Amino acid sequence: MSIGESQLGGVGVRMAQQRYSWIFGLAALALVLGIAAPHLIASLLWMSLLTQAVVDMMLATSVGILVRQNGRISFGQAAFFGLGAYTFGVIAAREIASPELALLAGLVLPTVVAFLLGLVIARIPGVAHAMLTLAVGQALYEVAFKWRALANGDDGMSVRMPDTIFGIDSDVFQSPATMLVICWSLLVLMLLALSLMARSPFGQLTEVIRENDERARFIGYGTTLPRAIIYGVSAFIAATAGILQTLYDGYISPQMLHWSASGMAMIMAIVGGPRILWGPALGAFVLFFFKDIAGDATEYWPALVGGTLIAVTLFLPEGFAGLIIRLTSRAVRRIKGERP
Amino acid sequence: MLIQVLNGIAYGGLLYLLAVGLVLIFGLREIVNFAHGALFMLGSYIGFSIAAVFNFWLGLAGSLVAMTVIGIFLDAAVLRPLRKHDHMVTVLVTFGILLVLEAFATAVWGKSFRSMSAPDLLSGTVQIAGEPFPVYRLFVIGVSLCVAAGLTAWLRFSRVGLYVRASSVDPTTTAILGVDTDRLSLIVVGLGTGLAGLSGVVAAPLMALSPTMGNYILIESFIVVVVGGLGSFSGALAAALLIGQIHNFGAIYLPWASTMLPFLLMVGVLIWRPTGFAGKRT
Amino acid sequence: MTTALEGRNLSRAFGGFRALDDVDIAVESGEIRGLIGPNGAGKSTLIDVLSGRAENWSGQIRLNGEDITRLKVQDRRHRGLARSFQRTNIFPAIAIGTQLTVASRALGETGLSDVVEALTLGHLLDRRADEVSYGDQRRLDLALALVGRPQVLLLDEPAAGLTVEESLKLAEILRDLVRRWGLTVLIVEHDMEVIFSICDRITVLHLGKILAEGDPGEIRRHPSVVSAYLGSQA
Repeated sequence: MSIGESQLGGVGVRMAQQRYSWIFGLAALALVLGIAAPHLIASLLWMSLLTQAVVDMMLATSVGILVRQNGRISFGQAAFFGLGAYTFGVIAAREIASPELALLAGLVLPTVVAFLLGLVIARIPGVAHAMLTLAVGQALYEVAFKWRALANGDDGMSVRMPDTIFGIDSDVFQSPATMLVICWSLLVLMLLALSLMARSPFGQLTEVIRENDERARFIGYGTTLPRAIIYGVSAFIAATAGILQTLYDGYISPQMLHWSASGMAMIMAIVGGPRILWGPALGAFVLFFFKDIAGDATEYWPALVGGTLIAVTLFLPEGFAGLIIRLTSRAVRRIKGERP
Repeated sequence: MLIQVLNGIAYGGLLYLLAVGLVLIFGLREIVNFAHGALFMLGSYIGFSIAAVFNFWLGLAGSLVAMTVIGIFLDAAVLRPLRKHDHMVTVLVTFGILLVLEAFATAVWGKSFRSMSAPDLLSGTVQIAGEPFPVYRLFVIGVSLCVAAGLTAWLRFSRVGLYVRASSVDPTTTAILGVDTDRLSLIVVGLGTGLAGLSGVVAAPLMALSPTMGNYILIESFIVVVVGGLGSFSGALAAALLIGQIHNFGAIYLPWASTMLPFLLMVGVLIWRPTGFAGKRT
Repeated sequence: MTTALEGRNLSRAFGGFRALDDVDIAVESGEIRGLIGPNGAGKSTLIDVLSGRAENWSGQIRLNGEDITRLKVQDRRHRGLARSFQRTNIFPAIAIGTQLTVASRALGETGLSDVVEALTLGHLLDRRADEVSYGDQRRLDLALALVGRPQVLLLDEPAAGLTVEESLKLAEILRDLVRRWGLTVLIVEHDMEVIFSICDRITVLHLGKILAEGDPGEIRRHPSVVSAYLGSQA
């Protein structure tokens, strides 16, 4: 591999190394900021809002990664969010196994289900894919909705937290000050891992497959397995978000799996700009704080989201993140004294 | 038994009225319209408001006309400017429209449930095979059959209908042959939306009116469109009747699985024959 | 001489139309074989069947004696059977260097620098494929087929859409590389000048069947080829 890369330009390798140190630097800065946040933000309400926002950012990231590495639009991502939450919540609340095992199961089950589903649906593109994920998600929603013995069906179920999880006092997960740091740190680490993955041979391969599945096979790759792995990764992130929300709220309900939640996550990703790794998280962050702007008129928040989506798709096809990148690169060029 | 079958047909007919609008719009613009359920809801409320002042029949006609106009506007203001974009982007935009329309309905009519009664002419029951059956459901069946017959005749015998059929098979070639797809699309999206309005009013006496009333039936009509083979008019009719029966008999014999069955059917069809309709667009 | 690529009883039908009708073809190792015929004769279909792209076909295919009939596209490629495409088939939003790197990870780097140099892609490695000219994209398409130094190369109109000058240059590059690497080539091309100048043998397809086969001289004189296809060009 090293020969090939040196044949195709050592310059690229050096540039990549430079970029790696940038990424680690940024991640470290973000982690420090997160740890400092509870000391900087006085209001408990704001911290709680931010915690919710970070969970949304994680879910949007999981949708975005499917777009970015697989080129697929999912209208059923909430299913994996909810499957993680339900698996963890039901096992923990009914004391079927230890809370640690419940947490592990909540991560593993959605990942495996998504991976297996990915093996089947990886080849299906476009509108058909959107419809298929919608149907799978709704089928799971119906299970959660109808199966009262599982978790009170429609009413949802409150999940009484065990005293400790992995030796950590469960109050830590329910207090905004500490939960914000936990959620934010996990999000930063996930974005770091995803950006390293995107630069790895595997990440490059999935992007090549996204661009042209057929030609990828003609340069010697099977395309189903890499696609299915991305489905698994994406579901893992969604499930983490679902478990975090359950830990924080102590409550699960079928609404977590509903297609409108999937659609909302998709909108967040699109508004932020899914072609850029941190775009979906940015989109979720911005839209979440529209809720605050909407103020008393919170019930019109969806309309604000819908309007933003329409405006962004019409005027900012690369999303907010694309806009930021375009503005910064223009500024950098101007500083360097080049003509724009 | 016969009553159950008729119930299934009534629900299937309603689904058909909604699904056929989706098929029309998909044929021309190659998008699935997530706003369709919200348009159905809006049509319902418009009919409700007119009927509150005048009567059911004016409500029905008024909603049909108003929604047709809204559909024409939707095509000209949103779908046409977006036609060069990735189709999935347009699909998401229709989702945005859905959110806006729901908020609009909440602002105008409030969140609480409203109900609309059937006109006197259609209230009451008739005896069918020794059991009572609501006249209004017969009316629903009648309306959907009339629409199905009218639409089929229009598609088969009129010049515009020919263009619509040609365009749903191959929009690019049809455009190259000199058919004005943009004008065609105005007609088609207008008609599809008008039918959503019509079905909204027709459904209103059977369900409670609320800003989110369109969500469930939207997903069921997606299933109809997919199972019928996206873009196929006769397929949509057959699928609507099938889903109507599944919906009805499932609720009786498999209550725990009835709402899941259509989704599983849809997943099965998509996995079995994704190219059945995805082949058109990748 | 040994047979590098052999197809037997190859048939493919679309509805009632037989795009390929019981075709036998054997390309000798080291040979450059031309495949000509009017539009709809089944040339591209034959390439699709041999390369593994086609579905619903029947017959048998052997590569260096090994039965590859049931192998998938990627497995055929790993065994040394590569192809280019009539309609440019590349990875639009990916840097050209990355595309070649990813391909060479799967197929090995043998001759990669030769390919980059011969096809003059060196100065384009960090450009996205959708940002370069059509001619550059055609050469990238070819380069992707040449990564890993395949044994047998199927070329489906490599010069399609190029100017006369560009296509002559491409023919020269190809001829040079093929000689140097000792490749076996099956080439579909409309430009008769290219075909008659570089091919060792030519197969003529007509309505899904083989009409004639022979060296360029024989084909030029073959009466039914002249009447059915070459016409005044001969």
